[in-house]
Amino acid sequence: MSPVTYGWLVLAFPLAGTILISLLYKRLPGRSAGWIGAGAILGAFLSGLGALSQMLAVAPEQRIFEGSLFAYARTLGVDVDLGILVDPLSLLMVLIVSGVSFLIHVYSIAYLTSDAGYSRFFAYLNFFVFSMLLLVLAGNFILLIVGWAFVGAASYLLISFWYRRETATKAGIKAFVINVIGDVGLVLAAFLLFSETGALSYAEVFAAAPEVFSPNEGVIVIACLLILVGAFAKSAQVPLHTWLPDAMEGPTPVSALIHAATMVTAGVYLIARTHPLFEIATDAAAVAAIIGTATLFIAATIALVMTDLKRAIAYSTMSQIGYMVLGVSAFAYGAGMFHLMTHAFFKALLFMSAGSIISAMGGEQSLDRMGGLRKAMPFTFVVFTIGALALAGFPLTSGFFSKDAIIDFTLYRGGLYTVLAIFAYAAALMTAIYSFRLVFRVFFGKKCPEAEELEAGHLHHADPVNPATGEPEGTDVGFPGEEHHIAERDWPMKIGMAPLALLALVAGALQIPGVTEAVTHFLEPTFAGSEYLEAHPTVAEEWRGLAIGGTIAVIGIGIAFFLYIRRPQITPALQARFGALHSFLAHKWYFDELIDACVVRPTAAFGRFGRNVVESQLVQGVLVGGATSVVRVGTSTVRTLQSGYLRAYAALLLIGMCGLALYFLTVSS
Amino acid sequence: MTIHLSIVIFLPLAAALIGVLLGGRAVRWAAVLGSLGVLGYAVAMLIDFDSSSGALQYVTDDAWIPQLGIRWSLGLDGLNLLLVALTALLWFAATVGAAFLGVTRIEERPKLFFFQLALAQSAVLGAFLAQDLAVFVFFFDLMLVPFYFLIGAWGRGERVAATTKLVIYTLVGSLLMLAGAIALGVLSTPSGGQISFSLAELAQRPLPEGTQLWIFVLFALAFLVKMPAFPLHGWMPDGYRAAPLAVLIVFSAVVSKVAAYGFLRIVLPTMPEAALHFQDLMLILAVLSIVYGSALAFSSDDTRLVLGYSSVAQLGFITLGIFSLTDLGAQGALMQMVNHGLVVAALFLIVGLLAARAGGSESLDDMGGIASRAPVLAALFLIASLASLAMPGSPNFVGELLILFGTLESQIVFGVLACSGVAMAAVYMIRMYQRAMHNGIGAGVESREICRGELALLAPLVAVIIALGIYPQFALGRSEATVLGKVAAVEQLRVPVSGGVILPGAQIPEGVPGTPGAPLGPQDPAREPTAP
Repeated sequence: MSPVTYGWLVLAFPLAGTILISLLYKRLPGRSAGWIGAGAILGAFLSGLGALSQMLAVAPEQRIFEGSLFAYARTLGVDVDLGILVDPLSLLMVLIVSGVSFLIHVYSIAYLTSDAGYSRFFAYLNFFVFSMLLLVLAGNFILLIVGWAFVGAASYLLISFWYRRETATKAGIKAFVINVIGDVGLVLAAFLLFSETGALSYAEVFAAAPEVFSPNEGVIVIACLLILVGAFAKSAQVPLHTWLPDAMEGPTPVSALIHAATMVTAGVYLIARTHPLFEIATDAAAVAAIIGTATLFIAATIALVMTDLKRAIAYSTMSQIGYMVLGVSAFAYGAGMFHLMTHAFFKALLFMSAGSIISAMGGEQSLDRMGGLRKAMPFTFVVFTIGALALAGFPLTSGFFSKDAIIDFTLYRGGLYTVLAIFAYAAALMTAIYSFRLVFRVFFGKKCPEAEELEAGHLHHADPVNPATGEPEGTDVGFPGEEHHIAERDWPMKIGMAPLALLALVAGALQIPGVTEAVTHFLEPTFAGSEYLEAHPTVAEEWRGLAIGGTIAVIGIGIAFFLYIRRPQITPALQARFGALHSFLAHKWYFDELIDACVVRPTAAFGRFGRNVVESQLVQGVLVGGATSVVRVGTSTVRTLQSGYLRAYAALLLIGMCGLALYFLTVSS
Repeated sequence: MTIHLSIVIFLPLAAALIGVLLGGRAVRWAAVLGSLGVLGYAVAMLIDFDSSSGALQYVTDDAWIPQLGIRWSLGLDGLNLLLVALTALLWFAATVGAAFLGVTRIEERPKLFFFQLALAQSAVLGAFLAQDLAVFVFFFDLMLVPFYFLIGAWGRGERVAATTKLVIYTLVGSLLMLAGAIALGVLSTPSGGQISFSLAELAQRPLPEGTQLWIFVLFALAFLVKMPAFPLHGWMPDGYRAAPLAVLIVFSAVVSKVAAYGFLRIVLPTMPEAALHFQDLMLILAVLSIVYGSALAFSSDDTRLVLGYSSVAQLGFITLGIFSLTDLGAQGALMQMVNHGLVVAALFLIVGLLAARAGGSESLDDMGGIASRAPVLAALFLIASLASLAMPGSPNFVGELLILFGTLESQIVFGVLACSGVAMAAVYMIRMYQRAMHNGIGAGVESREICRGELALLAPLVAVIIALGIYPQFALGRSEATVLGKVAAVEQLRVPVSGGVILPGAQIPEGVPGTPGAPLGPQDPAREPTAP
């Protein structure tokens, strides 16, 4: 089979899983919906491997395959097929997405066991994976937008999964609307490209672009900026990021899958995919790099002070995606995609182990309530620490090689990028601090009551409350249900986490400067036309960068150790000393308030103005009243009863027309 | 295949008449069979239709009132094929719903109700199929009569006041259009020639621009009222709240499309210079409808009004596409007419189901939380909502995309402004879905699943929406050839007079506004290598 056929299979498995689970949702016993879901994703992953084996069998320059099923919209010059593109970039994404998704599905089989919406969860989750795979396999901008929007809808459904919580449904709406704003950006970008090149498929647009556009010409820069609107909305980059922390309302496997490993990296994929355009519009690429850097810095500062475990990891995700955006928009494609991959491993792992902690805590997410869980949850402790090491960029872990590869390339670009690299190093220090802040606060220190009960073999049973508001809540659509269980002792959860822990540790071996460049080399056919393909810092520069990065990570971990283990009394003192700064960070730089004041409230006010003023005064008052009184005056001669005249009027019209018709019919015959 | 369009038009009316004569429950059966017959015809025409031809098919053209040059002229092409199919499907659904499934309980005077419903279908089909302006006007005005009775006699709440507003608005519009139609026929008659209302003939007899302008205004008012467009939608809120649900489904889904269709079928071909002259004004009205309709949709709590105002916004998009005066925009508008009809009909059916579960209340304040007990209903509602907000992957997305492409190509500012409507649609539709299905269970809400009969009505509509979403080319392919010709008259005017193509026989007065320097559409062959 050709890679394209495998590509269609990659899409078919999760779609079939969605449909099957949806249709059978009532009849599926026990955990079978979970196994069907996981099996479907495994099928997609194996199909991805099949495509890989076929692709590796041909020469590198022939590794780009296109195929289409039928004409989707082909009219009046618009020419869109239901077509996919299987090349090294999309295939790498397919393997990351389906591989990580499979493990998270397996994890969820156990994690969601006591949830009333078990089948619904796996139907949504499979639909999400289908959408994400459609997004990465799409062969043209329109199908990309379709996958893009499907992913947004699936994310909406999963964020509001526990839909009795108003916090969850509000977060869902927020995510959905910001995503739609991103979609609009993509639609406008697609229009500009279509109007200038006459095409919508990647191959044709990229082939025509160098001839149609001159470097940094207005149209192409605007088109690229619009692409960035889409990318930033999905990848939670400043200022379109506010939905991501709120999205933590969803079940934790969702956070692991969608809001860490896959969907939020779609923006990075998109920039890499449209690199021929960004290399023409280098101004837009510079904007992307600056915003990526701003995001990685801002998010890291906020992650330092978040007391909600999941939200802290969410800000860390934002920050890491900032690194990826910086990487691909500095044209370090190999490094950016490599970091996307390693981040998928260690961040999914961190979220999954956070889920394990949260379920052991009976739904509690606040760091202030946790502590000393090391002995109670040894497995979770080990994998969480591995994830934190990789996130911090501790020497020889996967994150060490991937993050520093991005910063090295940024330094190599020089000029503006040197400044950005300095910010990236500063954020790297904060990353090490906040990741080990989590480790130390959760697993070390004074034991919380839950830890003590767990060590004694009991499980703390708290009444279910909404972790965001503390309000008590019903369990008819929520977790934990009646049979709340100890998460980490259920084997599917361990099966889900263990491979990721291994990958988080050793995946760095794929790209060791001077030794191997597996990822960059594999991606070369996709980026064959890039001017930056051959550009490279020297091996010595790269090792120098790694040395700096490793040192920073160790220092950061040391600072965290000092602050949270050695001198835990210092942090409250620091908070008091720098109260204004702490409050600024704890309020997340006031982005929510800013957007609320600039966008949400004016729109709502406009709606009220429309209803209370325009509709009632102008439309109903002047226009309707006017028209009615004109007719009333006009018909005053034939006025009979208050409502009767209209009936007479209508009847007269009908009779008149019929009479006229009859008259002419008789005359004509 | 031989298909007599006159039979298609009068089939529902004839069936209902037979039912009325038989009496009893027979009238329900007769009405359902009549609309089923039309649906059968529609399917046959969808299959048999020659997509490669832009010309009229299944033409009927007989003398009707020769003294006035009025001919009984009917025909089907890419412009009305899908709209006729939409009419057939939705009328069948509404009739079945009213006759057997209790969408609207008809206990009083059922004979009259089903007769009026069938008469309304005949009138709508007649308006869609007419190829003679006088025939169009006749059917367009005829539509008013059955709807007047259907809403006035079987409606709810303030139905008398509502019908008064409705009738005054649309009657004024209709009379203006009647005057416009007569003027168009008389003034375009060459001296010594025979008067004609044939649309094909009228397109060949262009009027001077000054005359076109005031006739255009007459037609535009009639159509904008019917759609309805801001600020002429004053009759809509009361009318939509009063109408019985089965009637509202066809009224909101189909009747508004007759007006939009009228622009494409009549106004653009016969008054191209006026269309160009008023382009900016119409685009402003369209954008206002989009923004205003969306804003009111997300600040209304009455589910009918959310859908009503969202329709104002959606019809705004359709107007935008038509008055982008590009092929792409017209093609998108046509697609969107079908999509909006399907989606709004499904959503109104769902509103009925929601109200039945919320103790009869149609307010969002009284709903909530039924998704857990009614997952199938929730799924269908979600699909319809997402289609309504034109989520990519839905047929509405394709329609809206083409409309936006066409508008951006010709008038980029209006296209960008319209994009705000896309984002706002997400707000009001998801808000409605969420408040009805999610959060806590409303006080008087009885959570129960959709029943079989209701599912049988709703599922096919949703299935058609999904099918069109997967394969929109089904619709696009059938309308392309016709659309290509319809906007041509206007497009050619837009090419600079000096070097451009001039419509044969068209007198282009100097200084046509907007003529010089107007942007080129994607139909420019030099820039459009993939043009079909």
